[in-house]
Amino acid sequence: MAEAPLIAVRDLSKDFRTFRRREGVWGGIQNLFVREYLTVKAVDHITFDIDRGEMVGYIGPNGAGKSTTIKMLTGILVPSSGTIQVGGYVPWRDRTTYVKTIGVVFGQRTQLWWDIAVMESFRLLQKIYGVSQRDFDERMALFGDILGINKYLHTPVRKLSLGERMRCDLAAALLHNPPLLFLDEPTIGLDVVAKDHIRQFLRSVNQRFRTTVLLTTHDLDDIEALCKRIVIIDRGRLLYDGPLDLLKQKLLRTRQVKFVLRDAAAGARLRAIGTGGLAIDEVDELTFRIRFDRTKVSTGDLMREILGAVEVRDLVIEDEPIEEVVKRIYAGEALREVTL
Amino acid sequence: MSAAAVYLECARIGFINNLAFRLRYYTGIFTYLINVTVYYFIWRAVYGSGPPIAGYNLAQMVTYVSIGWIMRSFYWNTIDQEMAYEVIEGKIATSLLRPLSVQWMWLSRAAGESAFRLGLLTAPTALAVALIFPVLPPASAVHFALFLPAVAGSFLLMGALNFMIGTCAIHLESILALIRAKFWLIELLSGVLLPMTFFPGWAQSILRWLPFQHIAYSPLQIYLGKLEPRAALVVLLMQWLWVGALVALGALWWRFSIKKITIHGG
Repeated sequence: MAEAPLIAVRDLSKDFRTFRRREGVWGGIQNLFVREYLTVKAVDHITFDIDRGEMVGYIGPNGAGKSTTIKMLTGILVPSSGTIQVGGYVPWRDRTTYVKTIGVVFGQRTQLWWDIAVMESFRLLQKIYGVSQRDFDERMALFGDILGINKYLHTPVRKLSLGERMRCDLAAALLHNPPLLFLDEPTIGLDVVAKDHIRQFLRSVNQRFRTTVLLTTHDLDDIEALCKRIVIIDRGRLLYDGPLDLLKQKLLRTRQVKFVLRDAAAGARLRAIGTGGLAIDEVDELTFRIRFDRTKVSTGDLMREILGAVEVRDLVIEDEPIEEVVKRIYAGEALREVTL
Repeated sequence: MSAAAVYLECARIGFINNLAFRLRYYTGIFTYLINVTVYYFIWRAVYGSGPPIAGYNLAQMVTYVSIGWIMRSFYWNTIDQEMAYEVIEGKIATSLLRPLSVQWMWLSRAAGESAFRLGLLTAPTALAVALIFPVLPPASAVHFALFLPAVAGSFLLMGALNFMIGTCAIHLESILALIRAKFWLIELLSGVLLPMTFFPGWAQSILRWLPFQHIAYSPLQIYLGKLEPRAALVVLLMQWLWVGALVALGALWWRFSIKKITIHGG
């Protein structure tokens, strides 16, 4: 029998009521007596399941409702309607017991105590979560190994760099070895090395402990490195929920081939090939870029034709970057094609 | 790991957090001394060599003011301001991610801070005041034994009230005005400025049924021996009943408010 999903979200909505300000002196006086409210639907009837051990990327443009969803899933915010069940708990209602089973990292703000040394924060967390000394030492050794945080354990958090802080925050979130980890933009503002470090760490945690991970990000490299499945939302609505590969297969239509020719004279012959469905750009007199729809034009046939016509020194075949696809989805163009 | 030990750990963090701000307390001693000095001269001028006013002679009045300010240096806390800051900054999200009662976490932190104040502010202030001004000792050993739990009660009343005010930050854009109003209300109604007997009769009969006078007036009554031990015990009991009531009320207010929370950023 299939295992029940760890996270079950049904018809989840969150409305925020904001007070609309009138401008000017008269508006200010009116504001004192009569208030107009606007209701913003931050999350609008979302439904999805996440299984144990999955790593799911939760993406969407700014203000799409990602963080609001995470905050409801972690028990911080109370849903306006709909239900959330995580491992048998209703997050907001069972908050104090539920949060012992999750780890959370908000990239935008630290959860460590600002003015005290990192180690003091860890000791406090050890007590709060009731982690035994043996487990504590073992995990600290592991974090020291993979995350390399030993060097700054005795520094107050306010003196750490963003990358160092993020590593400590991750360690803090995993100190009680929670089966479920929520990451809200864990790589925001980090340099390439730090990003890579954190991705490797997450992968190894997922493999070692079968930790379920839900992460929001704007960096699609995070998704490609970590997640098989993605959920896309915009303006509070679910746009896509499925494998990353399927999304690529369906939407990554454009492929491009870059050629470097041996002599400039061949350029004219190459341009002559440009028949239906091909777009040829001249980067410089020796370098050309051909873009085509891979569902209409066979890559093999095209290569044969080109190699037969001109002498090529070098060539690269690339798919459109995933960013482009996501950009199209956000813009609403690609939506029809992904309804599954 | 018992829950109590976890909150004790929160208190410890409250304590260490304050180590970074030691200087604030040195200046605090000075501020409190000035306050006591000002009231000392005011009351000396008011009394002259005249008869007792509202049941207090000059020696008792000076003691009332001195012990009142010494107590205040201990029970005072700024839970409301810190909470408002956390709500506005969205840091409240972090507090909600801990497997702890938010109310008890704040009270524990404040307790840690008060323990810190006790050593760095209350003790030196008490010593200086006792050396400079003619302060009477407690009425008796029994009165002093009842006075101590009453001061602990003052701390909890103040903490419970501040937690409720801090919770208002979830509903309001700014609670600065509220905090200021509370400040003057407590200064006046707790009895730290004036004993309750200086109030008109009708006000006294209303205030008797409110929690505020248990913050300063009741413990001071006990210290000065204005109440027989039995009556003092009843007042102490009343004070602790109010502690229970305000903590319970705060928990309810929090539980109601938390559903309205919106967290900015991200």
